[in-house]
Amino acid sequence: MSSPGRIATDALPDDGLLSPPAAVVASSLRRTQKEATRNRVIDAARELFDTQGYQGTTIREIARHAGVSVGSVFTTFASKGEILSQVMQDRLDGLYAELDRVMPHLRGATIERLRTMFAIHFAFEVQHTRLFLAHIASAYDWTLPPSAKPMGKTPRLQEIIRECLAKGVADGDVDPAIETQEIVDLLMAAYAWAYRLAAWNDANAAELTAVMDRQIGLIAQGFTPRS
Amino acid sequence: MMHATKIQAAEDTSAKAPTRRALAKQQTRAKVLAAARRLFSEQGYEGATIRDIASAAGMSTGAVFANFTDKSDLFREIMVTDMAALADAMREAAARGAGVEDTLLRMFAAGYAFYRSQLPLARAAFSVGWSPEDGPALRNAAPVQVLNSLIVEQLGQGVERGELRPDDLALRAQMLFDAYLSNYPQAIFEGWTLEALQDRARDQIRVLLAGARRA
Repeated sequence: MSSPGRIATDALPDDGLLSPPAAVVASSLRRTQKEATRNRVIDAARELFDTQGYQGTTIREIARHAGVSVGSVFTTFASKGEILSQVMQDRLDGLYAELDRVMPHLRGATIERLRTMFAIHFAFEVQHTRLFLAHIASAYDWTLPPSAKPMGKTPRLQEIIRECLAKGVADGDVDPAIETQEIVDLLMAAYAWAYRLAAWNDANAAELTAVMDRQIGLIAQGFTPRS
Repeated sequence: MMHATKIQAAEDTSAKAPTRRALAKQQTRAKVLAAARRLFSEQGYEGATIRDIASAAGMSTGAVFANFTDKSDLFREIMVTDMAALADAMREAAARGAGVEDTLLRMFAAGYAFYRSQLPLARAAFSVGWSPEDGPALRNAAPVQVLNSLIVEQLGQGVERGELRPDDLALRAQMLFDAYLSNYPQAIFEGWTLEALQDRARDQIRVLLAGARRA
């Protein structure tokens, strides 16, 4: 922190030319504070949504848990729905970074690449199934602002599946006549279904993966070229 | 015990001729349900409160709570009524089908037609159905199970006719039901027509049946 350059600057008389103007300092300070508030709210909300559910959590509780005022929560987020959306976005960014790293190295048949890809999802999300179900449910919530991105509006997962299928078409184990988007939608529906199983039947990642493997197998029967 | 016997007696007479009180209670329930249906359709499940519903029905919240335990109970009652009617419509549609694919498609189309005029309510149903708290009760409600078993039934008949192999019947039926449901967001948010929904459903049925078809 105490680099020589910094000391040298500090030692100079503050004539308003070498230091940034006070207004700029204040505004960047505000930005940093806003960022800190945002992160504290997100962390608190994730914890509360996970333990007591999305419906059962109020903005007031989130504010108290984050140690900020209700007012400052509302200067950053328009509604609880938007907080949920940001919580998920932050989590999913990590997941997609992991997938972007792994996917190019996957070899083998399309069905196996799809299975691996979804297994990575389950390993990543299974501790937070209540959160994930709330994320899906919020897509239908009237009170959700247009800026929020519930499940189905996260295009990255769909892109990854499409890339996987395109590679299959090139490799010859996916029927080129098949409508890709329809397969994507079926896989997404199967994926979402698995979370319901997790939340309602307390299934773990291995059980989810086993169910999803069977579902992918069944869908693959439909996209495998007829010999 | 005394109390239970009294209720029993009241129910016995109501079976012959409904008492004035039973009739009044029935009317109250019907009024609450009608108001709730309207508000859920206008404001969604999250947006509609018991207080709003009570005032729309012209009664106190206490009177609402005397008939329904909470909002999710009220919503489930509406869905259960609708889905019993939907199951009838699907059964009728299935009777006109020829072969598994055509029959399933007719059933799904009957479902999309049924909800076409009440998509906001369907949207509320998805919101509740996915909720970790209220979802299981709705998904396990008897009429929903009936819809699921209608699909199982069709696959079973397909096997009997020699159209399908009996592989993974339960999983296939569940995935067909989920595929049927998965098209609602297109109807709700993107205004898909009945024709577009049917085209999509037809392709989905083909994909999901492909592995069980007899060559």
